[in-house]
Amino acid sequence: MTSAGGARTVLDLARAEASLLVRSLLVLAGLLASGAVVWVLFGSVQPLWWNAAWQIGFGQLILGLVVLAAAQLAAGRARREGMADLYTSFPVTAGTRTVAHLASLAGAAPASLLLTGAAAAVVQARGAIGTPAITVLASGLVLVIASGAAGIAIGTRFSHPLAGVLGALALFITATTSHLVSGAAIWLVPWEWNQDQLSGLPGPLAGYPPAGAHLLELAGLAVLAGTVALAVTAGHVRARGALATAGIVALAVTCLAGALQLRPIPTAGLDHLVTETASLASVQHCTTANDIRYCLYPEFGRDLPSLEEPVNGVLARLPARPSHPLRVQQVLTLDLTDLTYGHSKDQISQWRAQLRNARASALTDTAIYLPVGSWPAGGSQLTDANFAVALTTAEWGVRIPAQATGNPASEQFLPCVPLNQAREAIAIWLAILATRPSAGELQAGLSSGGHYLGDEVSNTFVPTWTYPGMTAGYLASSGFAPQPTAAGYLLAAAMVSLPQQKVSHVLASAWGRWLNWHTTDAQLAAALGIPMPSISTLVPPPPPGQTTGHGPGTGPQSPQSPLCTS
Amino acid sequence: MDETTLSVRTAAVRVHGLSRRYGSTRALDGVDLTLERGITGLLGPNGAGKTTLLSVLATVSEPDGGQVSAFGLDPADGAERVEIRRRLGYLPQELGYHRHFTVAAFLDYVAILKEITDRRRRAEEVARVLAVTGLEDRARARIRTLSGGMRQRLGIAQALLGGPELLILDEPTAGLDPEQRLRFRELLSGLAGDPVIVLSTHQADDIAAICPKVVVLLRGQVHFAGTPAELAVTAAGRVWGADERDPHAHLSWRGGDSRWRHIGDEVPDGAELVTPTVEDGYLLLSHAAGAR
Repeated sequence: MTSAGGARTVLDLARAEASLLVRSLLVLAGLLASGAVVWVLFGSVQPLWWNAAWQIGFGQLILGLVVLAAAQLAAGRARREGMADLYTSFPVTAGTRTVAHLASLAGAAPASLLLTGAAAAVVQARGAIGTPAITVLASGLVLVIASGAAGIAIGTRFSHPLAGVLGALALFITATTSHLVSGAAIWLVPWEWNQDQLSGLPGPLAGYPPAGAHLLELAGLAVLAGTVALAVTAGHVRARGALATAGIVALAVTCLAGALQLRPIPTAGLDHLVTETASLASVQHCTTANDIRYCLYPEFGRDLPSLEEPVNGVLARLPARPSHPLRVQQVLTLDLTDLTYGHSKDQISQWRAQLRNARASALTDTAIYLPVGSWPAGGSQLTDANFAVALTTAEWGVRIPAQATGNPASEQFLPCVPLNQAREAIAIWLAILATRPSAGELQAGLSSGGHYLGDEVSNTFVPTWTYPGMTAGYLASSGFAPQPTAAGYLLAAAMVSLPQQKVSHVLASAWGRWLNWHTTDAQLAAALGIPMPSISTLVPPPPPGQTTGHGPGTGPQSPQSPLCTS
Repeated sequence: MDETTLSVRTAAVRVHGLSRRYGSTRALDGVDLTLERGITGLLGPNGAGKTTLLSVLATVSEPDGGQVSAFGLDPADGAERVEIRRRLGYLPQELGYHRHFTVAAFLDYVAILKEITDRRRRAEEVARVLAVTGLEDRARARIRTLSGGMRQRLGIAQALLGGPELLILDEPTAGLDPEQRLRFRELLSGLAGDPVIVLSTHQADDIAAICPKVVVLLRGQVHFAGTPAELAVTAAGRVWGADERDPHAHLSWRGGDSRWRHIGDEVPDGAELVTPTVEDGYLLLSHAAGAR
């Protein structure tokens, strides 16, 4: 047979094997599972391409696991199913069959590309920020191919189906235990899945992840696995020599790629990131709309309309604005510790000092802080986030201060409680009218799983209310924000049932009075001509001695939450 | 070596001084054999070395000693071994199957492994062997759904793919019902191209029916090579019938007519001699080898 005929045989055999691979229930199940995993990883958070591409790659890892198992089954099929003697009698050698098996991995490419394409379409449709990281996406495809090559290498030596399962398990474990290693070494595993730092970046960070080098590593591993598979089945001494050379080259490339990934993130990039974190004014784009200042990182400009909507919804119903301005601003909450590997201690100390100084002056009651990466893409989560912005805007409008006891970093940190203050009900009413969340969702915040929620204020148990999205971390300043009370919510809910014009008239006629923290819920209810809703009819009293609070400082020995007094 | 050179070589299989050991067991012990075009039956009890001999002929096993030549090609040489395999159809004794393949897909896959790269020719070949083995209506069936007999026919079908010049069938009639065995005999007898066919079997009547030549292998050695008639003749005058069992006979068994059939060296006076069969000749040889 001529070499062209041999190539034709390889192609025909590869096509047959690829067809089996594509139609394999295992691969189909893996594709569905990987899609589900990517979907879960995306969650409801607004996708950022520099993070989403890596998350899609984790889906590719799941696909790679099943391709590994399927490839091992295919490569070991003849021996496992008692056909080794028959196969030996064919003119097509074991080495040629292995070449065909390796070529058949092209059959996994459509599944990988389908996953990438579908995930990318979803990411884009959900308003992804940034541009697709092609190198990272390509790495996902190479990961699938490399996994398949590893499966073939295993299958040529071990035909038992369990061998493929164990191989897949080993790959999965390397990916999911990468947190056990520190620094840049996490990039050496086939796919690092616990990369939550990426979601907190305000834009792509050069060298993080080291996508090009990782692609090279995966390609090197794919060639290495293929070489091992061929070495097991190659009959000719000359072929083994060539394979040894190829294996050495592949190993060298893999090691080089590994070394490249161990390099620290470039100083310039981290300098810029620290500046982006500490000196917001120097990097963010600020615009003023309706006298409110919005400061966002350059990549996030498209979020402006969705932020203006709840703010303007409150402002439109506010009888008078406070004298001090309000600012809506993005902030970075990521921990730089994980990014500074490989840099000198002095350099790291310098960056930390910059960040410390910046934190000292941050978080005031005249700003709404939005952590990068936590703003939802849509659905009920966006409604919740809008409510959080609206309520914070309304609290600024009615002058409820952001007071607290303790340090935010300590376990004793507790926000102030606007106990029996009419302005709280007004703020909640404003937020509800601005965003129109469902009554059921609002009502659900009165209790949690049948447990009473409340804080200790002045030795009294105060039932509290958890507004939609309050615990989701849509706002960085939520820890400083006042703790809403159940009474305030119930009065606000009653106000919503009244004609808006009537309520607005009552509020506007004595706005200064309502802003006074001494003005009570009962007084507001009386002015509106409605009975004060009774908490006891909706929220059962807590068992004696039990106080379930919102912060870590709960229980009978919890410190007292402060009253919002100014 | 180019293909032209290969094709002008002599068209026979020669085995000389072939030996093969498995540990301390000598499976083949100086086997000399010449196989011409046509069907050669290989008879022998279990453990006689039939399967080992066939696997060596099929280039699956390598002998410890001796030479094998097929169509003038030496299987010890890598390139010539591949050339032998291109002309080979092989049915191992214990063949597993890719149970999740369909019958047609399996045959198509094997056809690729036999280097039939032209897709149309491959499809024609698959259709042809399905027809000759009577599996056309099972082409789309999964192999796991086939009966044992059907699987055996599928094994024969794959061996026939590509029209091999050397067809090695290790107990091909095992698992076939009488009708299928008859059909199989017809099939082998009607194969085009006059290939060299070697089949091992325990069925002496199969040998008698279709094999112009028979080889009896006992304890790794060739004890007989000739025509079935010649094998039968070796028992002439040593087979007799009787109403009672003869304790002096080497072998005795009762036939369908309730009469005893005896084989032995000393025929009793007045015994009713019967015409020996291939099976008689084989049994006598087998007994003699066991007595040594």
